Amino acid sequence: MIGFIAFSVRRAWQGFWRNAVMSFAATATMILMLLLLSGFWVLQSGLNATLQFVEQKVEVVADVRGSASLDQVNALAAEVRALPEVASVEFVDPEAALARFRARLAEQGREDITQYLDRNPLQGSLEVKLRDAAVFGTVVDVLRNRTDVVSGVKEIQKLVDDVLAITGVLRTAGVIVILLVGLTVLFIIVNTIRLAVVARAEEIEIMRLVGASDGFIRWPFVFEGALVGLIGAGVTLGLLALVAPSLGRLMFDVFTVLPLEFGTLARDLAILVLGAGLGLGVFGSWVSVRSYLIR
Amino acid sequence: MTVAPQRPPSIVGNGPAVHAPRQAPPPHPARSVWARILGRPTGSTGDRPLVVMRHVSKVYPNGKVALREVDLGIPEGDFVFLVGPSGAGKSTLIKLLIRDEIATSGDVILDGQNLARIKRRAVPKVRRRIGIVFQDYKLLPQRTVWENVAFALEVTATPSRLIRPAVDRVLAVVGLTGQARQLPATLSGGEQQRTAIARALVHDPRLIIADEPTGNLDPLISWEILQLLLRINELGVTVLMATHNADVVTALRRRVVALEEGRIARDQVGGAYHRED
Ligand SMILES: Nc1ncnc2c1ncn2[C@@H]1O[C@H](COP(=O)(O)OP(=O)(O)O)[C@@H](O)[C@H]1O
Ligand SMILES: [Mg+2]
Repeated sequence: MIGFIAFSVRRAWQGFWRNAVMSFAATATMILMLLLLSGFWVLQSGLNATLQFVEQKVEVVADVRGSASLDQVNALAAEVRALPEVASVEFVDPEAALARFRARLAEQGREDITQYLDRNPLQGSLEVKLRDAAVFGTVVDVLRNRTDVVSGVKEIQKLVDDVLAITGVLRTAGVIVILLVGLTVLFIIVNTIRLAVVARAEEIEIMRLVGASDGFIRWPFVFEGALVGLIGAGVTLGLLALVAPSLGRLMFDVFTVLPLEFGTLARDLAILVLGAGLGLGVFGSWVSVRSYLIR
Repeated sequence: MTVAPQRPPSIVGNGPAVHAPRQAPPPHPARSVWARILGRPTGSTGDRPLVVMRHVSKVYPNGKVALREVDLGIPEGDFVFLVGPSGAGKSTLIKLLIRDEIATSGDVILDGQNLARIKRRAVPKVRRRIGIVFQDYKLLPQRTVWENVAFALEVTATPSRLIRPAVDRVLAVVGLTGQARQLPATLSGGEQQRTAIARALVHDPRLIIADEPTGNLDPLISWEILQLLLRINELGVTVLMATHNADVVTALRRRVVALEEGRIARDQVGGAYHRED
């Protein structure tokens, strides 16, 4: 058994390099597909996080700067409360935000990852409820003008509409694009491996004549496909790791995905990329050697 | 697992290595000192057919009829020449025996097993009991003589500790110990064919099938190869050899099966290449 695996891996390695150009073409296509897949997945997760946030049913949220004093915040809150369309204003300080985040984790049955933090990464916020959800222009303007206190304003109602629209489009477009790219990758991998098989047709013929079983003929090529998948996934994850810091910031700004959640998101993404790469590589080569086995 | 002989003793086993296949042809029948020393029941022809073909026909998908109603029995220990003009069906008959093709009708039975009935998964095991030799040697150019022979064991799940002694022994049998580390391209045609024969022997087969093994070799080297096959036959291995080489066939007076347009035209013990009448 160990001899069999060693034999297969050695031949897979030789095969990969003997057809280096095609192997690299297959790997590059694989990387492209995995990057696209990752992109869609990140977007999807971001949108889901936003939807969750929206479910709090607060209509306008203003992030409060850490540098703002409590007096400044209270003054602003009073000013907004005085507006006719505003129903209520609540200040959620960073401690309360953390407590709420913990409660949300507990609710979802997830580990309390905040315990590993040495300080609270969350900002305080002013949460505004409106009498009429459709009218929020003035409130947003007032909040936005106070740049000394407020670092950003989210218009939830508008966000809800946008997110629902985008999610719908993305779900279908994403599935279609990933399917198309996946099929292309499959096609390229099948052809790469087929070339490798043809290049070794003589060797395969000899193997069959001396009584090699199907496994000895098939598995080297399957491992070769797996190698393409693994290298593709490795490079993809490397590229993603490079952009992860800026991606994390972007996710937080746009989607309110917290850095903490970004950690689990990255782990899931790594599993997804590895699984998809390996799966495609193995499936592709399995398909392409079938016809060369004993009839 | 494939090396461990089921039937003692094996030619690649404990027999002293035989070199230089240049001696005069041994007397027929093959009940030589060797056979008696090794205790293999050679010459017990007739008791136990190793190969049986009954009413075998082969029609290729393109409609070409390559074999018609062939009946053939080869007892264990026999040495059989398969002759006939090009296109007569010799290679087709051989492909049926190694189950590279399946008979269109009739039975092909190897050592009691009907090759049309065995499962696809059992085919490799059947092939390991046959040693196959071709005109074009079919050696891997990037591997040495030793590696070419070892390859047959490597790809059939033989534990590596058994590979070295088995390869060394068959290389001694074919007289290539000194060339073990050379690549095929550096060998003469005869040496390449002996490498292929060593590879065919390394699984310790009961049957060696050679399809025009001397087709690419000059007469002297052809004799060498033939001597080697005869000696392997003396050691108890049944040999079926397709050939065009009339001199060799006529000189040796062994059993000759002649094919013509897919039919057996003649099956004669002690026969010549051409009909003698
Ligand atoms: N795979 C094949 N498909 C179609 N016809 C074939 C095939 N192989 C051999 N033949 C035909 O079958 C006949 C017998 O061929 P073959 O067995 O190779 O003869 P030999 O080895 O005696 O020269 C020939 O006419 C040949 O053209
Ligand atoms: Mg032929």
